[in-house]
Formats: sequence, structure tokens, C-alpha cells
Amino acid sequence: MKILVCIKQVPDMESRFRPNASGTWFEESDLAFRMNEYDEYAVEQAVQLKEQLAGEPEVTVLSIGPDRVNEALKKALAMGCDRGVHIQDPAPQDKDPWQIASIIAQFAQGEGFDLVFTGMQSQDRGSAQVGVLVAELLGYACATTLVGFSFSDGLVTARRELEGGIKGVVKLGLPAVVTCQLGLNTPRYPTLPNIMKAKKKDVLTIPVADLLHEEAVAATARFYPPEKKGGGIVLEGDVGNLVEQLYGILKEKTTVLR
Amino acid sequence: MFLDLTEEQKLIQDTAQEFARAELEPVAAQLDQGDDRGPMLANLKKLAELGFMGLNVKDAYGGSEAGVVAFSVAMTEIARACASTAVTVSVNNMVCEVIQAVGSEEQKKAYIPKICSGEYAAGSFALTETGAGSDPAGMTTTAALDGDQWVLNGAKLFITSAPYAGVFVVWAVTDREAPKGKGISCFLVEAGTPGLIIGKEEGKMGQHASATNEVIFDKCRIPKGALMGKLNDGFRIAVAELGGGRIGIGSLGLGVGLAAMDYATRYATERSQFGQKISDFQAIQWKIADSYTELEAARLLLMNAAFRKEQGKPFAKEASMAKMYATEAANRACYHAVQMLGGYGYTQDYPVERYARDARITSIYEGTNEIQRVIVSREILKNFSS
Repeated sequence: MKILVCIKQVPDMESRFRPNASGTWFEESDLAFRMNEYDEYAVEQAVQLKEQLAGEPEVTVLSIGPDRVNEALKKALAMGCDRGVHIQDPAPQDKDPWQIASIIAQFAQGEGFDLVFTGMQSQDRGSAQVGVLVAELLGYACATTLVGFSFSDGLVTARRELEGGIKGVVKLGLPAVVTCQLGLNTPRYPTLPNIMKAKKKDVLTIPVADLLHEEAVAATARFYPPEKKGGGIVLEGDVGNLVEQLYGILKEKTTVLR
Repeated sequence: MFLDLTEEQKLIQDTAQEFARAELEPVAAQLDQGDDRGPMLANLKKLAELGFMGLNVKDAYGGSEAGVVAFSVAMTEIARACASTAVTVSVNNMVCEVIQAVGSEEQKKAYIPKICSGEYAAGSFALTETGAGSDPAGMTTTAALDGDQWVLNGAKLFITSAPYAGVFVVWAVTDREAPKGKGISCFLVEAGTPGLIIGKEEGKMGQHASATNEVIFDKCRIPKGALMGKLNDGFRIAVAELGGGRIGIGSLGLGVGLAAMDYATRYATERSQFGQKISDFQAIQWKIADSYTELEAARLLLMNAAFRKEQGKPFAKEASMAKMYATEAANRACYHAVQMLGGYGYTQDYPVERYARDARITSIYEGTNEIQRVIVSREILKNFSS
């Protein structure tokens, strides 16, 4: 079995973000970068499947971005992936999800991956489109927002998170793409010996121009912080009066009392 | 000149930080206040399984082969969350390294993997005595050969992790007639050996979850092969290995200082007095500027000492400079942090009170800062004396 895991490196979400000079993305200097949280679930699930199948599958981890994404690739390799693919792109943020998906699909075509794992979305852009677009471009079956995964007899059983707390279960034949959601698993910490050994695993580098043949279909017009909210409403008066005011607000402006 | 961490060092730092935030920080206050050190022992086991007990130890003995810089940054991240856990990790690494440096192949294979894997919760470094603190060569614990066994008699003081250590590195006088420091040897003593008695646990100001005990040797018999390194060469071994330990403790101090300043700075941006955030007052701004500058200087001193050790260069002076400066910068940072929180900083509702207590010992243990100054000045004066 051949498995592909697609990961993105994103800023630490505790960072302070400000728009960059072009006003279409955030300023990246001074930010600390990490593996996208949802992609960590994808890596973990792929490595768990490899372990379930006694180490038989080869797990390839892929990331698009500047040289710094090597750190995220190394983490995935230290967690148990076998080889890395770094698609060198100094400015992946200028590409839309369609282009990113087309780059991945272009690489994956002919590689014969049976199963592709990725996060349900990135923590920075959050489009949640790349996984499904890769499936469409490759003609693979697809299930999104997985909170449960099992594999037996050549079939993936995926437990999906739907709206309103409802879960759905789907079965997929291979080849397939699945996108991973919070709650699917608890990603392992890479052990220090494995971090050191990851140095010796192969990372293939490919210039993005070799794989990108699609025009963008969406452009980011503007990146800006939300308007500052007002100071809220301060109610004044005696307790009875306060209760009446609050009751009125809850009734008119919320659904709490309906 | 390249001042950045390697990808592997960054990943180790990230792993330590994530583990510390998720597993250590949530139990740190409870460990400080309570009598149950179970959660710390459980976390030590997890840290061992991740490879944090033998960062600078060879793979063949169960170590991570990650080097000294990685050890330093990992210690800082662990100490940001829990100084008690951090000191245990630091001492465990030092015990592994001393066995790796001078132990026989048999000794290395017998003990290092057990500390690295977490089979032993800890190893202990038993050097200090009641009358031999800054002056360890003044020790009185003795070891005498009786047939094919050494017989240890005496008592060690302030021994970190003694109640849960699996093995003790013990120094004892083997030649009473030799000049001072020339008649001391180093031994490995397994926990549970008859005559090895774990004495009273000290009631300390801070780092409560890390046990500090007296250890008594009462006609304690160990095999002849328990001698580590050459006979009567023990004092030199201790002096050499403490250099590496100092990088660990300096890094620990840095972690506590950063934790205190990060907490106090965030607090200052939220706390208002006189109608404005207290971070708008220059008195607070200067504390922030001074403390972070000192902590950054400490970090660079530590990185330099760690890098030199990793490169196999002499590092004793640099390790002493870094330990001394970092632990004093940490204490000043904690002092300022408590001050920035005012009365709240003095209460146990806020962690800076714990940080201030935990930081205090760092200028004392692993060689007092007075001794560090002796080492630094001696190294410098060597180049000036005629």
C-alpha cells in the first residue's frame, strides 16, 4: 500500500497577526511556524495504519512552501512517515486552493497512492477545499471531517462529523482521500531519537513550477483585522430594573427565551 | 557565525514545549502544594520514553544523541512549566553522562539504558556532605576494600531524587593519606543495597516535588567492580561532570525566569491602575526591558557553553559564567515579576510566587555562584599571571 499525507506549515495560532505590505495576507516575519493541527491528525492516522499493517505501507509526506516547511516535514518523518516531498514555493499564500490541489494532484498522478490523508482545513486560510479538490482531480473517493477511521478488507470505514453534532458513517473503497478533524486521534510526540533519525530519511525537492499548470480561480482581495467591537452594554439601575432590562435584551436580540 | 538552532534542535525544543504545556504545566501548582509526587513520576516516565533522559547519550545505551544545545533548550522549556521535573531531568542526564564518560562498558550497559528508558525514575549524584558542600574534596565518606567488596561508610546530604533513584553515583575517600582531592574514588551503588539508607527528606523553600534527602552508608557492601573510573581519580571526574550539569541548571534557571516574566508582562498589559494599563508606566516598562535583556544574554551564554561542549572544546569557564549569570538573571526576573503583580504576586493564586521560590535554589545548587566566580576568575587569571 502507498499512502500520501499532505501537510501545511502554519503560524503558531497564539501569534499576533498583522496584514503584510500587499494587504492580502499576514506579515510572516517574526512568526513561529508549526505543522497545521488538522494535518497532525492526518500524519498520526497514516502512521497508525502503517503500524496496523505491520509496517508494510510506505508513507510519503508532502508539503508546499519555502525552506522552513522542512521543519514540519521532519516532524512528520520523526512521527513515522517514511519519506518526504518538499515542493519548493517561496509564496504558497499567493496561490488559491485550486492551484494548491492541482500541484498535489500533479505530483500524485502516476505515483499510485492508495490512500491520501490530509487535514480537513488549514488553521490559517481555512478554505477546507484542498482535500476534496485533490480527490476530484485524481478521481478518488473522498470523505471529509473524519472523527473515526478504520481499515479492513480493503475498505475504509470513516466516521464523519456532520452539522449539529450528528455523526455519519461511510465506507470507501480505495483509492481514496480522507480529511481529518479534531477528535480523530491524539497525535504522538515525536521521540528525540526519531527526530535525530529523521535526518537520514529522504526528502525529495521539486520546484513548484514543475507541477503548477493551472491558473488561479479565486484571488484574495484584502486581508484585514476585524473591526474593533464596542465596549458592550453596561446596564444601570436597581436589581429589579436590571432584570427587566436584561430580560428585554435577551428576548429581543437573542433566541435564548424563544 | 550562525546563531540559529538546527531543524532537529528546533523540533526538540517544540516537542519539549508542547509536552510541557500539555502535561507539566497543568500539574505544576498541585505538585508544589501537595504531598503526592505521583503525577511527576508519571511525567518523568513519559519524558524518558520520549528520549529526554539521555539527550547527549549514545544510541547504543538508549540515548538520543541529540547533543548539548538540544539538552539546554529542552531543559529551558521543561523548566518554564515545572522546575521540579526539570531538575530531575537535568540530574538524570548528568548521571547518564558521567557513567558514559568514565564507566566500563559493562557499567554503561547496566545502568544508562535503565535511566534513559524510564525503568529507573531517576539516578542520583551523591557528592555533597554535611561538611563538604562547596569544598567537596573535604568529604569524609569512606570506601575500603574488604576481599572482593568495597565497604562504604558515611553520609551524603541534599541528594536529588534519592527516594526513587535506581542507581547512585557515590564519591568516597579511598586513600586517606593522599593529598586533598587525590584520594577520592567514584562508585555505582544500586538502590536497595543493604546498608544504603535513604534518610530524611528536606523541607525546602521550592522545587517541592523533587525530593532532596540525606543518604547514609552504613557498612554498605558493593562489589569490587562497582568502582567507576580509575581508583583515586574520582574528584577529577566530579569536577569535569559538574561542568555539564551547570549548563543544565543554568538552562533551568532561564526557563523559570522566562516563565515569570512572560506571566508578569501579560498581566501588566491587562491590569489597570490610575485609569491605564500598568504596562503604560515606565517603571513597569523598564522592568520588562531589563529582565528580558538579561534573560536573552543568559540564553546566549548558555548556547555558547553548550555549543563548546558539543564541539569538544574546553567549556568549564563558559559553563560557570552561564550558570552564574542565568540563575541570577532568573532570580532578578522573578523578583521583578512578583513586584509587577504587587500583592497578588505574593499569593499562591498566581504562579510567580512559585517561580520565585523555585528560582532561588538555582544560584546555590550545582555549585554555588560564589564557586562559579572562583572558577571563572581562576580561568581568566591563568592567562595573566607570569
